[in-house]
Amino acid sequence: MNKSVIYIFRRFLFYCLAGFMAITLNFLIPRLMPGDPASIMFAQFKGKLKPEALDALKETFGFSDGPLLTQYFEYIKHLFQGDFGISISYFPQPVLEVISSGLYWTLFLAGTSLIISFVLGSIVGIYLAWNRDQKLDSFLIPTLSFLGAFPYFWIAMLLLYYFGFILDWFPLRHAYSQHVTPGFNFSFIASVFSHYILPAFTLIFVSLGGWMLSMRNNMISILGTEYINYAKAIGYNRKILMFKFAARNALLPSITGFGMALGFILSGALLTEIIFSYPGQGYLLLQAVRAQDFPLLQGIFLTITFSVLLSNLIVDIVLLLLDPRIRK
Amino acid sequence: MAEKGVMTISKEQTQSWVRNFNPLAPGANARWPSVAGIYEPLFITNSIKSEVVPWLGVDYQWKEQNRVLVIETREDVKWSDGTPFSSYDVEFTFNLKKKFPALDGTGNWKYLSSVTAIDSSHVEFIFSRIYVPGFEVLSGQPIVPKHIWSDVDDPVKFTDPNPIGTGPFTEITLFTNQVWELSKNPNYWQEGKPKIEKLRFPAFLSNEQATLALIKGEVDWSGNFIPAIDRIFVSKDPAHNSYWFPKSGGSIFLYLNTTKTPFDNIDFRKAVSMAIDRELITKVAMYDYTDPAHQTAISGAFSKYRLQDNLILENWVGYTPKESIEKIQSIGFNKNDSGYFEDSNGDEIFITIGIVSGWADWIRAGQIISKNLDDIGIRSRVKTQDFGAWFNDLQTGEFSAAISWAESGATPYPMYEGLMASKNIKPIGEPSGTNWHRFGLDEVDSLVSIFEISSDEKTKEMLVDRMQELFIESAPAIPLFADPTWGVYSTKRFKNFPSEENPYAQISPNKTPENLFILTQVEPK
Repeated sequence: MNKSVIYIFRRFLFYCLAGFMAITLNFLIPRLMPGDPASIMFAQFKGKLKPEALDALKETFGFSDGPLLTQYFEYIKHLFQGDFGISISYFPQPVLEVISSGLYWTLFLAGTSLIISFVLGSIVGIYLAWNRDQKLDSFLIPTLSFLGAFPYFWIAMLLLYYFGFILDWFPLRHAYSQHVTPGFNFSFIASVFSHYILPAFTLIFVSLGGWMLSMRNNMISILGTEYINYAKAIGYNRKILMFKFAARNALLPSITGFGMALGFILSGALLTEIIFSYPGQGYLLLQAVRAQDFPLLQGIFLTITFSVLLSNLIVDIVLLLLDPRIRK
Repeated sequence: MAEKGVMTISKEQTQSWVRNFNPLAPGANARWPSVAGIYEPLFITNSIKSEVVPWLGVDYQWKEQNRVLVIETREDVKWSDGTPFSSYDVEFTFNLKKKFPALDGTGNWKYLSSVTAIDSSHVEFIFSRIYVPGFEVLSGQPIVPKHIWSDVDDPVKFTDPNPIGTGPFTEITLFTNQVWELSKNPNYWQEGKPKIEKLRFPAFLSNEQATLALIKGEVDWSGNFIPAIDRIFVSKDPAHNSYWFPKSGGSIFLYLNTTKTPFDNIDFRKAVSMAIDRELITKVAMYDYTDPAHQTAISGAFSKYRLQDNLILENWVGYTPKESIEKIQSIGFNKNDSGYFEDSNGDEIFITIGIVSGWADWIRAGQIISKNLDDIGIRSRVKTQDFGAWFNDLQTGEFSAAISWAESGATPYPMYEGLMASKNIKPIGEPSGTNWHRFGLDEVDSLVSIFEISSDEKTKEMLVDRMQELFIESAPAIPLFADPTWGVYSTKRFKNFPSEENPYAQISPNKTPENLFILTQVEPK
């Protein structure tokens, strides 16, 4: 156990270092680029601002002409106070406020559909590997690979048009109906669920095949190993053999992939969100790029960076639990 | 479906709403209709009828040879919290803009020297230089309450989350990131108005989402562009689904950067114009929603300003590719072996037409122009850019050609001033609000200086006439088609929208402050 603590601690230190570098790059890159947020904002006023106002704006955006090191410490200080600066395109809203309004919905939509897709895909993969070269296997593999190659926004548009518009089974937009009050009550939860089905289905639909294939392939190579044959010969029953011996090992590469995907959900559901007018944060990133809204860009990059790092740390811990070899 | 009296509007496209109702906010970051709906201006110019309608102001008077403007304010107006409105609020608003230049987006203090309330119903504007067109800008200023805003530390960063206004709708009864609602002002000064109980704004992220909602009858009024609207929208419910696309008065232009050769040549610009098939553009690119541009670039309600036909001495907006080629040859350009015109250095002439990506109607127009140019032997291509980059190139003059709008106002005058006055020309690289193509005529400058000091209608009309002659003579930019405004509505639940039969105002919600006419006159059925 002692070894595990050291392992976790080392990983944690590594991620801290990576996070620190990300913060530093996030600070440096906009300052190395031509123009700064204040000048862009200044240009938007088409010469109606006096030069004194430019200085005031620079102050507002946390850009001062002081030495870089002083600016840097100022920046770090603000970060730890949760102050990401002020958005240009949503001026005068603070970046944190702009991001947080959509963050939960993106986490909810993309996060849960990733988990569903991963769990479902992996379980199906395990069964297919066990029953390989049978009817279901030879049908599902090509079908799901084919579906996985579909662009998800196209599926989204198709579903929206047919099930939302023509059949009127599901709502056309948003995360919940405007007639319910957000809170822990039945009508709100039911409304969120009915709004969740179509966008989540598109996300699950196209990613399912990938998880299933990787799980199946890992499984097959594990099933060919000596220790499985040995366990089989001893007479372990099918369930233990399948899940405890084979799947546990086959899961390891998939878990790593899951960690990567987990980190990228904040930016991944962009088009689904646009098509269903889902109030997430995916569109913010696009808008920030378009409007050259550096403070907002920085804020979003930071949240993405930290979610990647955090999910990797979680994966490391999960791997530790699954794979005793790491503990040695 | 919405309750009775609740009007659903699609005006701004966004993923989630941000609570900002500051009508003075820099940029355009306040929610519609903060500027004209929650807050109100002194006078509104009705561009369909070309008349000035008194609003928070009742009368105005120019004094001392147009150096002083006195505006009389309305007496019986109350703010939505019950406090009476007075001329001191007007005085306060303008002086707030003086104190915080970031709020002076309309540049009032370039020509004002002081704004003072003489008594509780009169405000005196003293000008630092005579500038009669300033009235239109000053009178359109949304007025904010002194008793609230004098306590705001930094009005530039103020988001005004719970606005107190004089407008017909002031009460925020719901605000979430995907929908918000604005209920009517209990103390509104127009007796019995507004008839609409509440405005509702769902967040639509894309034009497609808004269009689906319109077809489903979930939206009552919108300013969206809908392709093939008769088939897609009207046919779904012909009794109620309607639209009206009146021309704004100006045109959409193809700008050629006149600081570059050969675009500095008048005849070359005219020749390019003559190569363009405007009929095809309005039909294919604009779904016949508009008309090919008139030689004067004036359209719609402003047509009465047009020069008499016998005074229009040239026609370079017709589709005459043969004459176009002859014209280019007559100014000394020749074609090379592959059939394309060369400039004096022996390089092929190349026109890059910059258009905002996603603005499909303009992109199609650009593609037709590019094809037309190829037909007469000029190489060109359409370059699509993000709005920010495109607008930056336009303003700094770092472009070859671009499709864009022109200035607009209560008369065609601002359009011509924007197109031809040299005072707006900035060096390449420096952003300029108008005159992106950087074309100036000395005579226009002197006309502008006369225009700025005259308040007499006859003189103004004569000046606009002369500007038209100069426009036709010098072709500073190439008008393509009349600039339409988009107004789509359903009469299922509401009546008295403006229409071709009842043109009491511009229909598009994008036309502020004229949208106030609609907000106060539309009624639930």
